[in-house]
Amino acid sequence: MKKMTEAQLAELETDLNAIRDEVLADLGERDARYIRRMVRLHRSLEAGGRIMMPFGFLPPVFVAGTATLGIAKILENMEIGHNVMHGQYDWMNDPTLHSQTYEWDTVCTGDSWRRTHNYEHHTYTNIIGKDRDYGYAVLRLTDDEPWKPWHALQFINYILLSVFFQWGVGLHELETEKLRSREISWREKLPFMKEFARKGGRQAFKDYVFFPLLTFPVAPIVLAGNVGANLIRNLWSSTVIFCGHFTQDAETFTEEECEGESKGHWYLRQLTGSSNFTGGRWLHILSGHLSYQVEHHVFPDLPAHRYPEISGRVQAVCRKHGIHYNTGSFAKQYGTVVKRVLRYSLPEKLIGMARAA
Amino acid sequence: MLARHTQHKALQWLGRQLFNRNDPEAFFDPLLERINPMWVQEYTPARVERVLSETRDTKTLVLKPARRWSGFRAGQHVNICVEVDGIRRNRTFSLSSSPLLWQEQGRVTLTIKRLPGGLVTNWLHDHLQTGAVIGLGEAFGDFQIPEPAQPVLFIAGGSGITPVLSQLETMAALDYRAPVTLLYFVRTRDDVIAREKLLALEARYSALTLNIIATNESKEPRYLRDQDLDAVPGIKARQVYLCGPKGLMDLAQNLLYERGFADADIHSTLFSVPSADLGNETLGGEVQFEDSQLEVDSEGNATLLEIAEAAGLTPRHGCRMGICHQCSCRKTTGTVINRLTGKASGPGDETIQLCISVPRGPVSLDL
Repeated sequence: MKKMTEAQLAELETDLNAIRDEVLADLGERDARYIRRMVRLHRSLEAGGRIMMPFGFLPPVFVAGTATLGIAKILENMEIGHNVMHGQYDWMNDPTLHSQTYEWDTVCTGDSWRRTHNYEHHTYTNIIGKDRDYGYAVLRLTDDEPWKPWHALQFINYILLSVFFQWGVGLHELETEKLRSREISWREKLPFMKEFARKGGRQAFKDYVFFPLLTFPVAPIVLAGNVGANLIRNLWSSTVIFCGHFTQDAETFTEEECEGESKGHWYLRQLTGSSNFTGGRWLHILSGHLSYQVEHHVFPDLPAHRYPEISGRVQAVCRKHGIHYNTGSFAKQYGTVVKRVLRYSLPEKLIGMARAA
Repeated sequence: MLARHTQHKALQWLGRQLFNRNDPEAFFDPLLERINPMWVQEYTPARVERVLSETRDTKTLVLKPARRWSGFRAGQHVNICVEVDGIRRNRTFSLSSSPLLWQEQGRVTLTIKRLPGGLVTNWLHDHLQTGAVIGLGEAFGDFQIPEPAQPVLFIAGGSGITPVLSQLETMAALDYRAPVTLLYFVRTRDDVIAREKLLALEARYSALTLNIIATNESKEPRYLRDQDLDAVPGIKARQVYLCGPKGLMDLAQNLLYERGFADADIHSTLFSVPSADLGNETLGGEVQFEDSQLEVDSEGNATLLEIAEAAGLTPRHGCRMGICHQCSCRKTTGTVINRLTGKASGPGDETIQLCISVPRGPVSLDL
């Protein structure tokens, strides 16, 4: 990681705080209108998708219905749910958009997400051993983590994780790696498992039982469409999230270098540990503006639609302090993610040998 | 009835499964609101039918709530909810109309005075238009006239007249058979709210004696005095109702105590944020917001809501005066003083209202 003195870090903190304070002071009707528009769009897409689905015996309608419901889920998870749960809209004092009570359309419970994502991931971003989002305990993405033989096949794990992403995220807090090492016991995880079963059951009931049965004669078509919509959402959200921290230049950190760190150091870690991708307005919206992962990690509780507006200023701060601002096209960034998953499936030694040869 | 109840329960359960929320009926609100804001389910919508000017700084809103609203009894209050610059604001006002108007025409009125610096009252005065829809809560409060009839004395000041208007209308309609006197204190004669209505009531309802007193028209302010009470026939037997600024309420209370009135015969309603005499107690302390992993120091009688907001947090809140419980929050440890009553809480885990709780020593919150 780039070395900065405490004085430089303090200056970095001041510079970033200035951007944050300016946005906070300007929050108001425009932001409320934006998120409400997104909620309306989500409701329309969800209703539209569900209504189209039973007519899926016509292939074009099947494709349209599945895509519509898939996009509805993406919009709800990414631009609404994720962002609302970060507290980006708490200031609106609207109980339906409040971070502590929001519950989203995915297997992971809002409570579990608030603990594992808002707290663990955003506090300990990219610290190997503390940020469990780094590789989700199934992928080895840095040499800081010792190689084990099963890592050789981790690309298969990556595909499976992406396909079943909502279940993976839902079970994230189970901490299977700690269960395996007997660091924690199943008994401790019982309350979590109950919550997981309740929410997972609810989601499965809705998409795989209730709506198919409701449209009984065409149940298999509706079931297939709903599976498809969930799959679309799973693949897209995992891809976006992987592009946020696992690109080539996204840095990782050790526990030692982050011990007792200042806010400035935390900012530095967020700037260097995250990566953006460029694209059109709707690509940003459908990624919940996580295409501005850098801005999101620096200011997780500012309304996400503001990130494009402040990006220029964040880049200017990075330039001023000589910090690399990690961005590129979606294809380029995703390419480096795939490379990284493959690269670290092999031990350091082997890569070194190949290089030498 | 039981069958309907079960059916409702089943639908609620299904709704929760499908929409992931405890109020599934409100899931499509964002769309419904666009089509017709009166279809919103999250709160009871109420359309502003008319805005009447009472005095230079007081307006009456004539509202038509959705029919599912449960109605009210004279003297009760409601929370209203409006959005000002993207932020939802809840405030409590007294209903100034009689419940009969609701029963007969489905209308209610709120009479609202512009408060200097008041964010919501000023917005209501300057921006609320006929045809707009605002949110209405269920009525609450027990500032109610005695049944069966007993002699009554109302002492009201300024916009504290609003719940009294509702009660007088109701009493006149019921032909409440006992002497009723209203001592109404206003700054100047121009500040009388609902003058026509009061005069009409006096003319139509013979049991009512009306005495309007201007406090600021002479050199010396003319406040409530003992003679005003002497002039009320059979004062000893009256049930007394107080509603107005704190100064008037305190003055009236003292005069009544001197006359040997018991607390049970004096009824007062919340009008502005009353604050108990917190005396010389040293208040404030370190507040720990556990979920936000934040610790801040506080001094004096700042409430937990104010402390949280000053620390950059945005807890859910409503009336900011201890009424609506929107800001209820778990306190895990520590003692807080209730700003309204001056009473200390227990030291342990309990639910408190942030907007009226002042820390006494260190306090930890699930926030």
